Amino acid sequence: MAWGGGGMGFAPVRGAGGLPFGGIPSELQEGVDRLLADEPVHPEPTETFEQRPATGPGRLSLGRLLVAYPRLLVAAVGLIVVMALTSQAGPYLTEIAINHGMLPGHRSLLVVGVAAGAYLACVLVSALAQRAQVRTTGRLAAGVMKDLRIRVFAHLQRLSLDFFTEEKAGVLMSRMTSDIENLQQLLQDGLAQFAVQGLTMIVITAVLFVMDVRLALITVLLILPVLSAASLWFRVASERAYQKVRDGIAGVLADLSESLQGVRVVTSHNRQRHNVLHHRNVVGTYRDANNQTAQISAVYGPGTQMLGYLGQGALLAIGGDMVLHHSLSIGALIAFFLYLNRFLQPIQLLVQQYNTYQQGQASIIKLRGLLETEPSVDEVPAADALPPVEGRITFEGVVFGYDPTVPVVSDIDLTIEPAETVAFVGPTGAGKSTLAKLITRFYDPLAGRVLIDGHDLRKVSFASLRRQLGVVPQEPFLFAGTVRENIAFARPQASRAELDEAVRAVGLEEVIARLPEGLETVVHERGQSLSSGERQLLALARAFLAHPRVLVLDEATSNLDLASETRIEKALDILLQGRTAVLIAHRLSTAMKADRIVVVAEGRIAEVGSHAELLAAGGRYAAMYETWITQAEAESAGAGR
Amino acid sequence: MSLRQAEEAADPFTPVAEIPRYGAPRAGIDPDTSKSWLRRAMPVVKAHKLSFFLALGLSFAGLVLQVQIPNLLNKAIDTAIVAHRAPLSFYVYWILALGVVGGLAGYGSRLAIYKTAYNIEFDLRNIIYEHLSQMSFSFYDRVQSGQLISRANSDIRSVQMYMTFAPLILVQCSIAFVAFAFMLAISVPLAIVAMVTMPAVYLLSVKMRKSMFPVSWLIQARLADVATIVDENVSGVRVVKSFAAEDQQLKALARAATRLQWSYVKDADLRARFTPAVQNLSQIGLVLVLVFGGYMVIHGHLGLGAILAFNAYLLMMQVPFTMLGMLIMMSQRAAASADRIYEILDERSEIVDRPGAVDLVDCRGELRFEGVGFSYPGGERPRVLEGFDLTVAAGERVAIVGRTGSGKSTVARLLTRFYDVDEGAVRIDGHDVRDLTVRSLRANVGVVLDEPFLFSVSIRDNIAYGRPTASLEEVRRAARAANAEEFIEQLPEGYDTVVGERGYTLSGGQRQRIAIARALLVNPPVLILDDATSAIDVHVEQKIHEALSHLMQARTTLVVAHRLSTISLADRVVLLEGGRIVADGTHARLLESNPLYAEVLARSSAEESREHETRTA
Repeated sequence: MAWGGGGMGFAPVRGAGGLPFGGIPSELQEGVDRLLADEPVHPEPTETFEQRPATGPGRLSLGRLLVAYPRLLVAAVGLIVVMALTSQAGPYLTEIAINHGMLPGHRSLLVVGVAAGAYLACVLVSALAQRAQVRTTGRLAAGVMKDLRIRVFAHLQRLSLDFFTEEKAGVLMSRMTSDIENLQQLLQDGLAQFAVQGLTMIVITAVLFVMDVRLALITVLLILPVLSAASLWFRVASERAYQKVRDGIAGVLADLSESLQGVRVVTSHNRQRHNVLHHRNVVGTYRDANNQTAQISAVYGPGTQMLGYLGQGALLAIGGDMVLHHSLSIGALIAFFLYLNRFLQPIQLLVQQYNTYQQGQASIIKLRGLLETEPSVDEVPAADALPPVEGRITFEGVVFGYDPTVPVVSDIDLTIEPAETVAFVGPTGAGKSTLAKLITRFYDPLAGRVLIDGHDLRKVSFASLRRQLGVVPQEPFLFAGTVRENIAFARPQASRAELDEAVRAVGLEEVIARLPEGLETVVHERGQSLSSGERQLLALARAFLAHPRVLVLDEATSNLDLASETRIEKALDILLQGRTAVLIAHRLSTAMKADRIVVVAEGRIAEVGSHAELLAAGGRYAAMYETWITQAEAESAGAGR
Repeated sequence: MSLRQAEEAADPFTPVAEIPRYGAPRAGIDPDTSKSWLRRAMPVVKAHKLSFFLALGLSFAGLVLQVQIPNLLNKAIDTAIVAHRAPLSFYVYWILALGVVGGLAGYGSRLAIYKTAYNIEFDLRNIIYEHLSQMSFSFYDRVQSGQLISRANSDIRSVQMYMTFAPLILVQCSIAFVAFAFMLAISVPLAIVAMVTMPAVYLLSVKMRKSMFPVSWLIQARLADVATIVDENVSGVRVVKSFAAEDQQLKALARAATRLQWSYVKDADLRARFTPAVQNLSQIGLVLVLVFGGYMVIHGHLGLGAILAFNAYLLMMQVPFTMLGMLIMMSQRAAASADRIYEILDERSEIVDRPGAVDLVDCRGELRFEGVGFSYPGGERPRVLEGFDLTVAAGERVAIVGRTGSGKSTVARLLTRFYDVDEGAVRIDGHDVRDLTVRSLRANVGVVLDEPFLFSVSIRDNIAYGRPTASLEEVRRAARAANAEEFIEQLPEGYDTVVGERGYTLSGGQRQRIAIARALLVNPPVLILDDATSAIDVHVEQKIHEALSHLMQARTTLVVAHRLSTISLADRVVLLEGGRIVADGTHARLLESNPLYAEVLARSSAEESREHETRTA
């Protein structure tokens, strides 16, 4: 960490969200290609970003999400009812066929044929209804999920910078990924299953009661409480056990991953044996957790099956006795047996779905929390657009701290004239970067004002302000995409000529000529295919193309080779021409070239003046210069300059 | 085993403070690469054969018992209820008894099969980890840790799943034959009619899985696209905000979300095509049973109970038939996974003890590189060192300076035998390092890396990494000498603070001091210091400088130097160029007499940071 460690670094977030997919395996590529051949050209998105949307969609809830698609919702409900009714007709029709077609005295192939025909028709209708239902709920879920993704993401974009700390990055990622994905299963299948199984149970119970009240009562009372209790136990116990399994596997993978990353340390300290034993313990803990789930599954699966058989035994004893005493028809008894088999499944499935439902609800609550978070720096209602500015920046008695009780900068009074270059210097944590963040309105001052051409930053809209600002961060951040897209980040509609101009202005042509596909080369993994000097040039080109009136530049701390450094210096000269520029300088060599230098120390402006003036004054800057020059002289002597 | 015992059991060079609570893996993978993947994995399965066969046996027994039940119901209805030829209670008791015993057998078999599965997984994970821990650096240069982790994760799972659950599924399928036999025994023509739809169930479920696979991958890939956009907007939030690119990013996300939506709809359409068919085909079988069975009942060829029994049998058979399709997919995946795992296990470490290698004891720390030639393994790599000679007296401090690619860091890697020389020899106290045991060599040569790597354990455990049995007092002493005590004590939980937990991140300078404390605690007679390249705050630099001078006291030190301040700690500086030493002397003398030295010095810090980038990329 160097000077300005608290600066504008965009360190990659480790383990953010977890992106396990390196691509589609070759054996599946053909199948995927075939799928993609069907994909239509999707219309351009119509969503537009508003910092302050006029009307909110209301509090997030499952119901509200679904109601957004009323036609699909009504269709799904209708289809579910049809399914529940038709899918359970079989045993009842079997009863009719037996009682009126197969028993001595009532033998009729016609009745059997008609019942079987009706059965077949029911199966077909049920299958068709299911097909339509899967398609409908699939579309409903996909639509709702898309809306939700866009809604949450748009809100994320509205939130202020203080929300995006490194610690929260992982949480934000999981809101947008796993929390939303949790709802997928519920919406696509879970709710429908819930309804189908619930209705099925109602239908079966009703049919049983119609056939014989006493037997129905006995069956329902015998099976339902025991099975429900068993299922509830299973749900609670397995959820607890699976949590341990998840922790276990996370521990195993973390241990493995660390051993691989730290392999040089491990090897040079002869730690292999210790680590092997440690890993064995970690894997063992994981195995114990797995064995616990095994216990639970081994009890529940065969247990419910056993319950089914015991139910059959009881039904045979009671129902058979009723048939023998002629209080029940043989057909009805057989139908009871058939329904009994169908009764067990819905209960088990309902319990499963309840898990999904709970997870979904938990996600909804978390997402609601995010959506109800207000940006700490927000536009005023109906904010004015900032007219084109000259670029005069004024700090008036500014006080600011990330924690309101601990000011980081205070009593800041400073005016930066249009087209002036001002360098902020000072030790780490002095507040240089903080001042820059106030200019871009990433934060609002606790007291005092920041003005641009006399306009209070708080009164103008974000977009109109930031379109006139250009920011070059310490660590240039590249987005996945082509070099061209990265340069044109601020103005995607920029013409080729403008793009070329920007590339030429910062001296990026050579680099682009060397890239395999020139401007269209895809940048990988946060730009690792470009050297850090090249990434910085690209960030400069990006700022150049934005045509900002004011440029805020956080100097890179990483070392560059001389050639890159020279190129960047040249690019800066061009970029700064005729623009107001605020440089957060980590090297005094950079600061020296500024029109004015502002020395920031302990949150206050200690000195302001040109390099020569400050040296002459013999204050802090002069002292810093003294320390630095020792090393710089040795280097420049060595480099033969 | 107590801690003490664990320590005694280890040899003096290998620090062990972990008490194993679990036994070692019982078997390894067959090293014969000519065998099929399944046969190579057999030793591991055989090691757990008792529970494995118990599971299969119990599963079979349980299913055989359960298959009787529909037949008993059939007979109960026909003989006891319709014909009054036998007491009903006889059948009731049998069904209850079979249900209970079958259930118990089911419980036992599941428990045994899960146990087998998890034991095999335990063995495989430990086998792989142990193997990885023995690999040499040339291996780690070639493979990416992400790939290794994914192999260790999903590949082990799919192999273990197949090896244990495939036989179980086969047992369940075999029950289908028993059930079919019962159906045949009741009525041959009805059995055949009832089974008509089963092959279709099987074929459809295979086809369904096949066509669902690509779409589920597509969904995963598109989920990853969405996640990438979110990730970039979270980590690149300042760029997005400062260029007012929110609208543009929202549109990018909307586009990705729309593509994802489409793939989910595609997925729903595919499921809509297959699921109703697979689920309802067995119902068609029931319709056929009703109509043909009814016909046979009317003509007196069949009892009423048969209709009930056939219903139950068809229901029983539906599951194995759909699972059979799964089995095929599982076997394909397992074979591919096993290949990937074996690829790792078939790698051999290049750095091993020679027969008759001796321990390095009472090391004085005299180093000698004699005509060393070296190029990194893997194809036609350029020579990094060529005719490299260097002698370092015991207790001397030597800085190695050179341009990018001059081989500075390589010198250090050869001394610790991270790699072996191609020509010449590296000697320590006169012994060729290849004649020494690797463990004893590394125990005597400490390394402080340029990018200090800390593990996500407590600060204390990080400092005691090379000597986990060290007392807290020893750890404190090392931290104090490394100028790290002050900031450690300011941490909320002091030495017990876990690195990386709850956002306790340490700065580069702090990490470096912990790495120095780590080396101090081991107190090796020879030390290699790969100087950090990143620019460091002046105050911090001062502190690290102090820590380093503590570290270098009374031991032979080889510094791969970038910064002037570090060079100034050395007694002697050697300049490396073209794989050999071109200048040797004190810093002041070289600066005066050698123009290349001055140039390299000015550039090295800049270039080294880039060299590092390419090395780790």
